[in-house]
Amino acid sequence: MPGFDFSNYNRNAALHARGVPLPKATSTGTTIVGCIYDGGVVIAADTRATSGPIVADKNCEKLHYIAPQIWCAGAGTAADTEFTTALISSQLELHSLSTGRKPRVVTCMTLLKQHLFRYQGHIGAYLVVAGVDPTGTHLFTVHAHGSTDKLPYVTMGSGSLAAMSVFETQWKPSCTKEDAMELCSQAIQAGIFNDLGSGSNVDLAIITADKTTLHRGFVKPNERSQKLKNYKFPRGTTAVLNEKVITKDEIGKYVSVHELESAEGEKMDVDS
Amino acid sequence: MDTLVARYSRPANLQRETYAEDQHDDLYNDNSPALSLKFAMPPVAQPSAWLRAATDDRSNPNCPIKIAHGTTTLAFRFQGGIIVATDSRATAGNWIASQTVKKVIEINNCLLGTMAGGAADCQYWLAWLGMQCRLHELRHKRRISVAAASKILANLVYQYKGMGLSMGTMCAGVTKEEGPALYYIDSDGTRLSGNLFCVGSGQTFAYGVLDAEYSYDLSEEAALELGRRSILAATHRDAYSGGFINLYHVKEEGWVKHGFNDTNPIFWKTKLEKGEFTNVTSSLD
Amino acid sequence: MAMFSQNPIMNGPNYSFAEAPKAAMDGLREHRFNPYTDNGGSTLAIAGDGFAIMAGDTRLTSGYSINTRYAPKVFKIGGTTSSQDDANILLSVVGFAADGEALQERLDSVCKMYRYRHGKPMSVNACAKRLSTILYQKRFFPYYVYAILGGLDEEGKGAVYSYDPVGSYEREQCRAGGAAASLIMPFLDNQVNFKNQYVPGSGIGHELQERDRVPLPRDEVEILVKDAFDSAVERHIEVGDGLQMMIITKDGIEEKVLPLKKD
Repeated sequence: MPGFDFSNYNRNAALHARGVPLPKATSTGTTIVGCIYDGGVVIAADTRATSGPIVADKNCEKLHYIAPQIWCAGAGTAADTEFTTALISSQLELHSLSTGRKPRVVTCMTLLKQHLFRYQGHIGAYLVVAGVDPTGTHLFTVHAHGSTDKLPYVTMGSGSLAAMSVFETQWKPSCTKEDAMELCSQAIQAGIFNDLGSGSNVDLAIITADKTTLHRGFVKPNERSQKLKNYKFPRGTTAVLNEKVITKDEIGKYVSVHELESAEGEKMDVDS
Repeated sequence: MDTLVARYSRPANLQRETYAEDQHDDLYNDNSPALSLKFAMPPVAQPSAWLRAATDDRSNPNCPIKIAHGTTTLAFRFQGGIIVATDSRATAGNWIASQTVKKVIEINNCLLGTMAGGAADCQYWLAWLGMQCRLHELRHKRRISVAAASKILANLVYQYKGMGLSMGTMCAGVTKEEGPALYYIDSDGTRLSGNLFCVGSGQTFAYGVLDAEYSYDLSEEAALELGRRSILAATHRDAYSGGFINLYHVKEEGWVKHGFNDTNPIFWKTKLEKGEFTNVTSSLD
Repeated sequence: MAMFSQNPIMNGPNYSFAEAPKAAMDGLREHRFNPYTDNGGSTLAIAGDGFAIMAGDTRLTSGYSINTRYAPKVFKIGGTTSSQDDANILLSVVGFAADGEALQERLDSVCKMYRYRHGKPMSVNACAKRLSTILYQKRFFPYYVYAILGGLDEEGKGAVYSYDPVGSYEREQCRAGGAAASLIMPFLDNQVNFKNQYVPGSGIGHELQERDRVPLPRDEVEILVKDAFDSAVERHIEVGDGLQMMIITKDGIEEKVLPLKKD
């Protein structure tokens, strides 16, 4: 299996034995949930990414694509959830190509748990796997150590207790799509408001036999307030010691310049 | 007056009590002095080890309580008295807690103390020293010598040795008997008299300039400029020093303050007008 | 999802021999006396010409949990009654809430005794010095508290005194304390003390003049406080829920509580 480099492992183990602490485990704040309904499954997540007590990203995506009809919500170490889902997504695609069948959710779950178990929890990915395949609608959780659960409604992440309290009080067997969406949304909001590691918006995906609908920003209960004052500085407020203008002609001396054909150009993806 | 003196005149070691059960006494008891020497202690076997784990950011960078530290200070004797100069930055870990700290502490109108190490330790004990100096004046009807004042402080910190106090201070004063007198006292209990001291994380940078240019026969103006220039060198190279330059001149009549000035314009003035600091360039070529 | 948690500034050095446990080699582990919790939150104080504003958010946290959404951090000090209607001093505390409350009660009782004995309220500068000695009395077992004291000085000008946990103090124009201090303080340096602001066109190069420091009017300071907290709430998880603001003027103390984001 390519990808991981263990060349520092023995050194780090020796250092640890001498008392140097290992890098901090990044147990991270997130709320993710999933809920089965009659005809499909809904998964949802909050959109806050933190580094320590600082909000690193106010609107990040925690719902990951695996196959058209299988999606995954990730909690834990951001890089691990991202790369693990991408890896399994790729393996699943190849598998479905060679078998000529649609990928199954159990297959995805099994690949994930085998991958995670092999690394004994060092890959910090905590996942909610949901999807619809020819065998029906499925919803699983996969823990970093490789254990899995199959339940009609699930929560994970630091906000899982807050979210589970909503499910445990409001969930009913056999609910409609709208019921499931509302329930998941309420569960995520419980996490957003009561867990400091979760915040900002609710992202939600509905998976049915014939299509998957991703609602990015399904609920936005935390819009930023308008500043009361304008903080624009008049030109010349900042002291300038020296000035030098490099013209377009001169810049060729430092870098190679290519004129682009299209007039519009692509817009950079920026945080709104 | 004698009763007043008597009330404050218990020796420090007798006033000290280890536990804080009667912490609230000073609310109801008129007799306890304002700077009473009663300290609450943590209920553990090794209070100093516990304190170090909780507050010393050097031995434990993740300590919960970050205590503000002071940084570059200097003082030197010359024919016209003593120059005392400091920077004004206080840091707590990597955080600049303040850029406007007064690190020269006016013990009384003819004695100055400087602050390096724990800001609270220096502030508190130099204020306490001011009280002891005033009591000395009342008892003996004459001003205390710098030697005696510095010894009071050195004896006090020695009693607390190993408890976690952190201070590196200089006492500067001019008296008839001693002339200009300068003492260095630190929390280990060291007490030295000398012509020239620099204390704090920027001390080496300050010594570099001060040792090169120092002479006892400096004129007043040249001495003030040397003090200023030495602190400037320290603020330039030491990340934990900066802010403003606080300058004092101690004479027999008392001390005179020579400003609390921002380092940035002084730096550029020194660079552009005197052609120093050629390591810094602002040209874009 | 901690994306940048390897950032050394956020966590302190991750691999350091200085952090190595000292007595853990022989397998024995000492259970350390740990009386402190960080309850998060942030405070802010700005002094004006004839007023001082003390503010703090009202969230009280431990770990990833919110203990309460309304726990005041700003207190009136030295009134004659429990309602503190005639108080002349404000104290804000942030850090460990229990220590903060103990400190507030202690300073309040000291001020009350002073008033009872002397028949007049304590001046702000006297109270500031007294608070310093109260904090220093616990030098070897500190209050885990970042305190700010506010009021009007003898000339009627706004006064703000800021403290470290063991009592070093300084009078300042403005100060932010607590969890989001590192987010708010640079904003205050720029907007209250006009740091790094120059008068456009006042000169070329080094002749450029710094913007004059003038005390801000009260309405403008209130706006700065609200905007500072709105920004802190956006980027710090321990700040939010409510903004408690106390404004002290010669006419007394006015209290406002404004909503903040609750996520």
